[in-house]
Amino acid sequence: MEFSLAKKKVGFKTLGCRLNQFETDALASKFVGMGYDVVEDSKDTDVFVVNTCTVTNQSDQKSRYAVNNALNKGHSGMLIITGCMANHHKEKLEEKYPNAYVVDNENKSAIPELVQAHFNKEIVPVNQNSGGVFNYSPAAETFHTRSMIKIQDGCDNFCTFCIIPKVRGRATSRPVDEILENIKEVVSFGYKEVVITGVNISRYKHNGIGFSDLLKKILEIPLDFRVRISSIEPDSFDDQFFALLKHPKVTPHLHLCLQSASESILLQMRRMYTYRSYKEIVNKLRAINPLFNVTTDIIVGFPGESEEDLQKSADAIRELNFGHVHTFKYSKREDTRAARMTNILPEKEKTERSEVIRDVALESKIAFRKRFIGLEQEVLIDTINGNASKGYGQSYVPISILQKLQKNQLYKVRIIDIEKQGNDPLLIGEIVV
Amino acid sequence: MSNKVPAANKIKTDLHEILDVRFITDSTFVLRFERKGIEFEAGQHICVGPPNGIHTREYSIYSAEKDDFIEILVKEVENGLVSPSLKKLQKGGFVVVEEPVGYFTINKELPTDQEYVFIASGTGVSPFHSFVLSKENLNYSLLHGVKYGSEGYDSEIYDSKRYKLCTSQEGTGDYYGRVTEYLKEKPFGKSAQYFLCGNCNMIHDVYDILEDQGVSTDNIHAEVYF
Ligand SMILES: Cc1cc2nc3c(=O)[nH]c(=O)nc-3n(C[C@H](O)[C@H](O)[C@H](O)COP(=O)(O)OP(=O)(O)OC[C@H]3O[C@@H](n4cnc5c(N)ncnc54)[C@H](O)[C@@H]3O)c2cc1C
Repeated sequence: MEFSLAKKKVGFKTLGCRLNQFETDALASKFVGMGYDVVEDSKDTDVFVVNTCTVTNQSDQKSRYAVNNALNKGHSGMLIITGCMANHHKEKLEEKYPNAYVVDNENKSAIPELVQAHFNKEIVPVNQNSGGVFNYSPAAETFHTRSMIKIQDGCDNFCTFCIIPKVRGRATSRPVDEILENIKEVVSFGYKEVVITGVNISRYKHNGIGFSDLLKKILEIPLDFRVRISSIEPDSFDDQFFALLKHPKVTPHLHLCLQSASESILLQMRRMYTYRSYKEIVNKLRAINPLFNVTTDIIVGFPGESEEDLQKSADAIRELNFGHVHTFKYSKREDTRAARMTNILPEKEKTERSEVIRDVALESKIAFRKRFIGLEQEVLIDTINGNASKGYGQSYVPISILQKLQKNQLYKVRIIDIEKQGNDPLLIGEIVV
Repeated sequence: MSNKVPAANKIKTDLHEILDVRFITDSTFVLRFERKGIEFEAGQHICVGPPNGIHTREYSIYSAEKDDFIEILVKEVENGLVSPSLKKLQKGGFVVVEEPVGYFTINKELPTDQEYVFIASGTGVSPFHSFVLSKENLNYSLLHGVKYGSEGYDSEIYDSKRYKLCTSQEGTGDYYGRVTEYLKEKPFGKSAQYFLCGNCNMIHDVYDILEDQGVSTDNIHAEVYF
C-alpha cells in the first residue's frame, strides 16, 4: 500500500501591473518546485498570497477586497499580503490583519522561504532584506502563456500623481547576463513569447548598457521566440531603438503611456515629454509599420483639467488611432505633489469625463482592429473554450478562431471579421493552411 | 539563480548637519549642509525636510559637483508646509536629506562647444548655478526671469555677457520684461540645447515660442517646480 502525504496548497491573487504578475508567476513556479500545488484563489489553501497594488484608490479597494474575501470565505491558513500596498500601508495592514504576514516588495522574492519557515515552526522576521527585487528564478509554470522577464524595478521620474517611486523605490536595473540567461531558460521551458517588464524600462541602465543595447542583445539570442515590450515611458528613445523595432522578433506593439494630450497638464504631471514629441514617436512607429499597435493609459480629471484639456485627450485618441486605452480616473495619492494641488474635480465629473474618453477609445479600438480584416497574424493561443480558441496576434490584437487548437502554440491566421458587440470585440480568424 | 543581486532599492535618507544659512532676500536663502558622500550630477534634485517632520520637498542642488558640501536655494512659499520650516532652521541644526534623483542633466556625449540656453523663473535658476559652477568652459546663455532686480540670486558668479536678468515688475534688471518676451525678440537658433526650469506656465509658453522658432523637441529639456 502506498502512503502519500497531502501536498500543501498555495493560492495567489494578483492585482495591478505586469511586474506584479511576473513576480507572482516566479513565486508560483518556485512553490511548484518545492512540491506545492498552486491555484488562483484562496479556497482550501494552506497559504494565500495577495500581491497588492496601490496605484489608485480603486486598486487599494480591490486589494483589500481580495484579503477580506478570502477571510470571509473562511481562509484560516497562512495569509500573506505583499506588493505595493504592503509597502505603502504596512502599519495599517498589520493593525487590521494581525495574523497576516505583511511582506514588502524588497522581500517578496523570499516568500517561499518564509512559508517553509512558518510550516517548520521557525520564527523569522518578515522583512529582513533576504529577498531582493531581482531574486526571482525563471518561472517554468505560470498563470500566463507569455513569459514575463523583469529587467528593471523602481522609478526616478517622480510624476506628480504617482506613488510608485515611493512604493517601488529607486530605479534599479538587473544585470544583462541574468536577463539573457532568464530568457534562454524560459524559451527552453517552451515559451514562445517573452514580455520585457519593469516599472520604467526605457531607463534601463546597467554598467553602461542602456535599454536599446539590452534589447539588441536579447534579439541576438539564437533561439526561436518573439519579444513584446510592455509598458514603456515615451521619454528616452534613441535611433537604435527605432531601428531594432524593425527586427522580425519584435512584435509591433508598444504600450506607450500618454496620460494626457494637453501640454499644460503634462507639465503639471511632470511627465518628461510633450504631446508633440509623443506624436513624433507614434509617427515613427507607424512609418515602420502602418499597423503598429500603440496602446496607452489616459488619466482623466487631473487637478485643474479643463474641458479643453479633456477634449485634447479625446482628439489625440482619434488622431493616433490607439489600439486600446486604459482610462483611469485621477486618484489622489497621499505624499505626491498632485495631492497638494488645488482645483480638484468632483468625483461625478471625473466619472463623466472617463465615459467620454471610454467612448472615443472604443471607437478607436474598433476602427484599429477592423484594419486587420483581410490580413494575416501569427496568433499565440492562450485560451481554449469548447471548440473555440483565442489568442493574441503579434500586433497584440485578440483573435478568436472557431477551432480547437493547442494552447501556447503559434498559428498563422487570416482575419475575416470582427465581433459586432461588446467593449472588447475580438477579431475572427481562420487558420491559413 | 540570482542570489548575487539582492538589490533593495528603497530611497535612502540621512540627517545632515547645517553648515550655513545665507539669506539673499527676505524670503529666499541658501541652505548649506554636510555632503556626507552624496554623489550627484549637476541638475539633479534632492528631497529635503526639517528633522522633526515627516514631510520633505524636492530642491535642485545649487552647489557644484566638486564642493564638499551641498547647497540648495529655497524660496519660502507663504502658507507652504516645508519651506517656512526650512527657513527657521539654523547653523548647527539638521535636515533630512534623500538621495539625489532626476534626469535634468547635461548629456556628456554632446560636443564640448555645444551651445546651451538656460531659461529659469525664480529659484528655477538653481540647477543652472550648479551647471555653471560644475562644468568648465560651458558655452551657455542664461535668461533668468524674476519680478524684481533683488531676485537675481548670486548673479555675480555668471559671466555678465552670458546672463540676462529679466525683471517683469520693474526696470532694475538687464531687460525689463518677461523671459518669454526676451526670447521672442532674440532667438538663439535651432542648434542650441534648451533647458527650462521653474513654474510650468513659463515652461509652457517657452515651449510654444521655441516651436515657432523651429527648435526640435529633442533639444528641449524641462524641469517643472510647480
Ligand atoms: C524637481 C523639483 C525641484 C525643485 N527645486 C526647488 C528649488 O531649488 N528651490 C525652491 O525654492 N523650490 C524648489 N521646488 C519646489 C519645492 O519642492 C516646494 O514645492 C516648495 O518649496 C514649496 O513647498 P512647501 O511645502 O513650502 O509648500 P506646499 O505646501 O507644498 O505648497 C504650497 C503651494 O505653493 C506652490 N509653490 C511651490 N513652489 C512654489 C514657488 N517656488 N513659488 C510659488 N509657489 C510655489 C505649490 O504649487 C502649492 O500650491 C522644486 C520642485 C521640484 C518638483
